[in-house]
Amino acid sequence: MISLREVSKTVVSGSEPLTILHPLSLEIARGQFVAVVGPSGSGKSTLLGLIAGLDAPSSGDVFIDGVNITTLGEDALAKLRGEKIGFVFQFFHLIPSLTAFENVAVPMEIAGARDARTRAQRLLDEVGLTGRAHHYPSQLSGGEQQRVALARALANNPLILLADEPTGNLDTANGRHIMELVRDVHRVRGTTIVLVTHDAELAALADSRLIFRDGRVVEHT
Amino acid sequence: MKFVLGMAVRETRASFQRLIFFFVCIAVGVAAIVALRSVIRSVRDVLSGEARSLIAADALIATNRDWTDDARATIDRRLKDAGATARTETIETPTMVRPADSAKVAARMVELKAIQPGFPLYGSLTLENGQPYSHSLLEHHGALVRPELLSALGVKVGDSIAVGTTTFAIRGVVANEPGRNLGAFSLGPRVFVDFDDMPSTTLLVFGSRARRVVLARVPDDSLDAMVTAVNQDFSEEFINARSYRATDDAIGRDFDRSENYLSLVGLIIVILGGIAVSSVTRVFVLQKIRAIAVLKCLGATTTQIMAVYLLQVMSLGLAGSLLGVGIARLAVAGIPLALGPSSTSLLAQVNYTINWRIALQGVTIGVLVSLLFSLVPLLEVRRVKPSLLLRDEARRPGRDAARIAAMVFVSAALIAVAAWQAASLRVGVVVCVGFAVLAFVLLLAGRALVRLISPMASAPSFPLRHAVLHLSRPGNQTRVILLAVGLGAFFIVGVRSLQASLLNEFNIQVGTDSADMFLLDIQRNQVEGMRQFLADPANGAGSARLIPVLRARITGVSGRVTTLESFEDVRARGSLAREYTVTYRDHLEANERVLDGKFWNGPSSEPEVSVEKGLHERFAIGVGDVVRFDILGKTINARVSSIRDVDFKDARAGGFVFVFRPGVLEQAPQTYIAPLKGPEGSSARAKFQHDLVAKFPNVSAIDFHEILATIRDVMSKVTLAITVVGGLVLFSGGLILIGAVAMTKFQRVYEAAVFKTLGASTGTIAKMLLLEYGVLGLLAGSVGSAGAVALTWGVSRYALDIPWKVFPVEHLAGVGTTAVLVAVIGVLSSLDVLKNKPLATLRAE
Repeated sequence: MISLREVSKTVVSGSEPLTILHPLSLEIARGQFVAVVGPSGSGKSTLLGLIAGLDAPSSGDVFIDGVNITTLGEDALAKLRGEKIGFVFQFFHLIPSLTAFENVAVPMEIAGARDARTRAQRLLDEVGLTGRAHHYPSQLSGGEQQRVALARALANNPLILLADEPTGNLDTANGRHIMELVRDVHRVRGTTIVLVTHDAELAALADSRLIFRDGRVVEHT
Repeated sequence: MKFVLGMAVRETRASFQRLIFFFVCIAVGVAAIVALRSVIRSVRDVLSGEARSLIAADALIATNRDWTDDARATIDRRLKDAGATARTETIETPTMVRPADSAKVAARMVELKAIQPGFPLYGSLTLENGQPYSHSLLEHHGALVRPELLSALGVKVGDSIAVGTTTFAIRGVVANEPGRNLGAFSLGPRVFVDFDDMPSTTLLVFGSRARRVVLARVPDDSLDAMVTAVNQDFSEEFINARSYRATDDAIGRDFDRSENYLSLVGLIIVILGGIAVSSVTRVFVLQKIRAIAVLKCLGATTTQIMAVYLLQVMSLGLAGSLLGVGIARLAVAGIPLALGPSSTSLLAQVNYTINWRIALQGVTIGVLVSLLFSLVPLLEVRRVKPSLLLRDEARRPGRDAARIAAMVFVSAALIAVAAWQAASLRVGVVVCVGFAVLAFVLLLAGRALVRLISPMASAPSFPLRHAVLHLSRPGNQTRVILLAVGLGAFFIVGVRSLQASLLNEFNIQVGTDSADMFLLDIQRNQVEGMRQFLADPANGAGSARLIPVLRARITGVSGRVTTLESFEDVRARGSLAREYTVTYRDHLEANERVLDGKFWNGPSSEPEVSVEKGLHERFAIGVGDVVRFDILGKTINARVSSIRDVDFKDARAGGFVFVFRPGVLEQAPQTYIAPLKGPEGSSARAKFQHDLVAKFPNVSAIDFHEILATIRDVMSKVTLAITVVGGLVLFSGGLILIGAVAMTKFQRVYEAAVFKTLGASTGTIAKMLLLEYGVLGLLAGSVGSAGAVALTWGVSRYALDIPWKVFPVEHLAGVGTTAVLVAVIGVLSSLDVLKNKPLATLRAE
């Protein structure tokens, strides 16, 4: 499902080049749940960005469902993300000017789905926000915002769900709720999940774990 | 598409409150365009159907000399050949009028018009209080007068007035006369008398400035041929024919010109709104970067996101433009109310409506300008990378070909819009380039001022320090506010200073010992009597001189550069063919100096003339050339022997374009003028004029003080008109300011919360805001005022040719008012920044 071949990322920090991800090859099969753990600045989020096509690698190739996404332009990448990849961020990144319902409906509207409204409402029901659909992000708690973000990530029924520390900004109870929802997504939908986390409990839910340090995978269990 | 539409609606809903002020700017500009064009179109619709009424005939044939028998015979023949069905004659002349009752000490210059029963052939003469007009009101020494004469002379209907050597009974008050409704300049109020009574006034003496007119009703198909034939018949004489069609064409041209130029004023306001749109879009995109990255992350393409925001701008531009049409409709509907129900002016008879084609044009301009100005900042959407959701990366500024191409496209499109509005590519280019240069200069000046005050950023006062720092914070609106408010201040202060400058110039001239009154039309046999009258201390006049004058026309020039064979050729040179008042003397006056050639010493029987510099430059008539003059039918070929520079502002000796050498004109029929220093005080001046007219009924007195009052009145109207335009610009500036505050409020609310958390009181933050906007207003006022100084310098030096003077009070008042206005608007729009509780704000972040 996801294949990385000798993928690296170097950025310029000040006037010096800084490698934030050393060459890495990796295969993640369809339906697999992989947790990526490691300290801050170890390259976890960079890996997620490269898989989602949010960022271009400095070298190597990234294949998603057999397509080399490093050869695609911005718009083709956007289309691919819309169809195949859902993303959950640590800081939710909901659009503040849209209600919860509208935030969930947006990816489907972009893809031109006809039943966007029905599906958006069903997704909000699934994450337990039936009564909060018409609230703006600023009117929702952190846990509720993250549940909206998860519903939005699942909007187009993606093959892959990428989650960047989804519980990192939540209290324990809300973190646990999100954890359960992610597990259900994997179990019920069979979605391939790559989860970046500091939370050992959450990582333990995954089929396998990649442990990062200084831009390198130091352990793969 | 559904996504684009849906997102555009949601984004508009969410940001409407923040964007509304900017689109009100578009509304104000569109309202100005639609209202100005519609009003002019409404007036034009009435006037173009009324061209015959404006000249009261199909054709008129006019001269300012006596009709000769030959001329009359030719005109009669031409009118008969053209099948004229009616004709009537008039005589118009400026003259003095006084109450017949000698106890009433007043006199006033009027425009006397003697008419026959057939007048007017078209249109109607209406009287006040519904009194019907009939020529019998004028018969046997009756007069109809304008209401302003009644108040000037302190007389009423039924009283008598002295005109020339006879008296007329006032039998009615004129409300309206054909062709005299448009506020054209006049020497005084109109007085109608009967044509047959004119000789009894003895005003038609030699040298009078009477204009004699034959008005005719001529069938349409023979009208043009008749006019052409008459003009050919009299090509070498001073008789001119024209038809109502020429008036119609002239009206059309004048209206086209005023409509196009005035709508440019509206366009400038719209462009100002456009600059605001550009600025707000830039801030808007900056605020939306994260949302744009999210949309890209969710699969939206750059094109889709650009389409969302372009659609949003377009819908708000459309809303603003429609609001503008609404405002214009209200404004236009208010005109009849402003004119008052009792107004009898032609302007009150116009049906003021919004022309829907013009409204559509206004809306198109509003939407176009909104789109054009938002295009360049919206291109920033392309450069937003979704990866910023994972890692904050500074977007690297780089050369962006698409951005440069868009800027070129937008500039070209704006020139096209301006050219469309002005109906001239040249004017479009000049306006756009001029505006760009002005904006650039204001921006540079603003930047320089911001830099100048930057040392205050380390001032000991905390509020002042932060106020100055805020002016150059990231995403600040300093430049756009400086431009918009500065431009408004520039217009208003500039025009007020020019007005002060002009009035000051006139005041100086009237205030000194120089002549402030001119007596005209003094006959040769009145010279002695006049000398005695003026010398009599009881009459209170200062020193006066009588200068002989003759009226002359140039009928040919034979020179090294300019050769004009016939009067037809002279006519082709425009103003050269006008009638000149000339004199003769053997010396230069104090306000003259010779630039070329030599001024004569004594008389000579060989005609010689000295020419004024301006005419010499305009028509290339120099020393050695021979100019052929027609002076009362006599041809005089005079050799130009000198070129003089004349200081026309020093009117003690009058200012003459042509001065002849003594020895030729002494025996020709001539009149005298007398520049003099009139008595002090308005009642003494009125008595002087009254006594003068009583003794010399044909003599006219032009009082500079009255002219100054008229100039002051005209100038205050012009100033008011330009101040309204400047006020509209300033109003747009105020809206932009409110909008800018609303736009950057999120930043201020957060900063205020942090300041409050760190111990700043609400009072400190209020002071900070007051200082920030006060300083901003001070800078905008200073930029506008500095621009106004440059404007007054340029106009004084190159257009008005008056000494340049800075009026510190006008400038200081302009700067102070702008600073206060901006400070008040800024603080009032930021009230919730002061009211918000810090914890809630910090949590929301």
